[in-house]
Amino acid sequence: MPTPPLTPELFALEDVTLEIGGRRILDRLDAHLHDGVATAIAGPSGSGKSTLLRLLNRLADPTSGRVIFRGRDVRDLDVLDLRRRAVLVPQRAVALTGDVAAEVRVAAPALADADVSALLSRVMLEPGDYLGRDPHSLSGGELQRLCLARALAVAPECLLLDEPTSALDPRSADAVDDVIRSLVGDGLAVVLVSHDVRRAAAVAQNVLILHEGRVTARGPSSDLDLEHELLMPPHDGHEHDADDPRAHDGDRHRSHGHDEQDEHDDPKETP
Amino acid sequence: MSAAVPGSLVQGATMLATSTASTTPIPSWGAVGVSLLLVLVAVAIAWRQQLGISREIVVAAARALVQLVAIGAVLAWLFAHAGIAGALAWVFAMTFVAANESRRRGRGLPHAFRSALLGIIVGTVATLGVLVVGGVISTEPQVLIPIGGMVVSGAMQASSLALTSLHRSAVENRPAVEAALSLGLPARQAFASELRTAVRTALVPTVDQTRVVGLISLPGTMTGLIIAGVDPLQAIRYQIIVMYMLLAAWAVSALVTARAAEGALFDDAQRLVPVAA
Repeated sequence: MPTPPLTPELFALEDVTLEIGGRRILDRLDAHLHDGVATAIAGPSGSGKSTLLRLLNRLADPTSGRVIFRGRDVRDLDVLDLRRRAVLVPQRAVALTGDVAAEVRVAAPALADADVSALLSRVMLEPGDYLGRDPHSLSGGELQRLCLARALAVAPECLLLDEPTSALDPRSADAVDDVIRSLVGDGLAVVLVSHDVRRAAAVAQNVLILHEGRVTARGPSSDLDLEHELLMPPHDGHEHDADDPRAHDGDRHRSHGHDEQDEHDDPKETP
Repeated sequence: MSAAVPGSLVQGATMLATSTASTTPIPSWGAVGVSLLLVLVAVAIAWRQQLGISREIVVAAARALVQLVAIGAVLAWLFAHAGIAGALAWVFAMTFVAANESRRRGRGLPHAFRSALLGIIVGTVATLGVLVVGGVISTEPQVLIPIGGMVVSGAMQASSLALTSLHRSAVENRPAVEAALSLGLPARQAFASELRTAVRTALVPTVDQTRVVGLISLPGTMTGLIIAGVDPLQAIRYQIIVMYMLLAAWAVSALVTARAAEGALFDDAQRLVPVAA
């Protein structure tokens, strides 16, 4: 996959730490997520990737640090407006109504019939086959795509997808991936959390790999040795940045180049 | 002490009961002693069948005796000396006891006691208020206290059921609520179906009870009046009022408790707060 052109910044996480019950879930994390592309956040279970996603639309707030959306701290934005601009589709696809059309209209009740049909088509659900059905009767993959249509109904600027294919069989997962690729192709920004780094990288242009709440590698999915990065345990302050020219010298997979700020501020690196 | 509202149903029923009470034998303490034989029957069954609850039965029967004697004495004093202020204070105190009991059902929910107390107080004040202002009941302690007790008891049950349902929703349906919040829906809208379920669940027992009243068993108020010698056709008037009163108390308390608990379930950023299972 070619290296994606640089697009405007959508989200920035600045020195974000999140602790829950004394346990550090995210540890002084810095990240930049760009508009108009798909960014995959990958990592093993418990690495903090789903928590990171929840920070983006304020289903959680960091203990310290800032989350910036289009240049503004998310805490300064109207939270309902933020959530409609950056809609999160949770890992578990849940139907909220008993009818497919009503499901699409959950957050957009004034949506015309034609728009409902168009949204169903956009997620590759043939309206003629699905309108009038109870969402609870759909397969996991179909329900996941219906949840995508429900999210698209509010015309978001960005979709935040938490493990959209983790509970699906390969064929259904491929169908969901096709929908995501198509949405990104139309210019929609997507942030995608997945434990399956290969599948995520096949959809996303950029990849961010987390280990124990810290970014251990980042860059265009085409430039990273994903399997290797995913398996590598985190080292204090060490990160592989595929965009960092130092990463291409010598140690290809794991540079010692952290973000500038971390290089200076991380107490673990201070003698 | 204020007099019964002239022409009220209560006044009529009280007068009827008073006028016929002399003809209705009231059990003596000796008769109460004889009824102890019935406790022995229950104990004998438990002992014979090796149920392991003989001691519990004896303790329960003893507690009932002591509690009822105590409450009888307290009520006798209240009726004689408390006046309307004392009666209201008694009912108000009952709301705290009821809220504390209701809170147990919502354990894990934030501010469960506060939510239950608010629901029980609003349900009680609204129901008793309508009855008093409408001239349906008098403000005499011997009316306010037992009627208030019935209202508080009903409000407590409604509040408990609402909290139980909300707790279950907050734990089990968190994914659905967060899915709705993630779409930018306000907390109240995201939680609307859970709230409806809680209020509906809380109302089911009293609706069922109201539907079958008189068919399965004779309700307490009516039974008491009939035993006291009141004509059944007149006793039912009181019972009808009681049933309608309880419907309102349950509905108001369930809704207010559920709304208050819902408010405590979401933070300023419209997030469902953690709830212990």
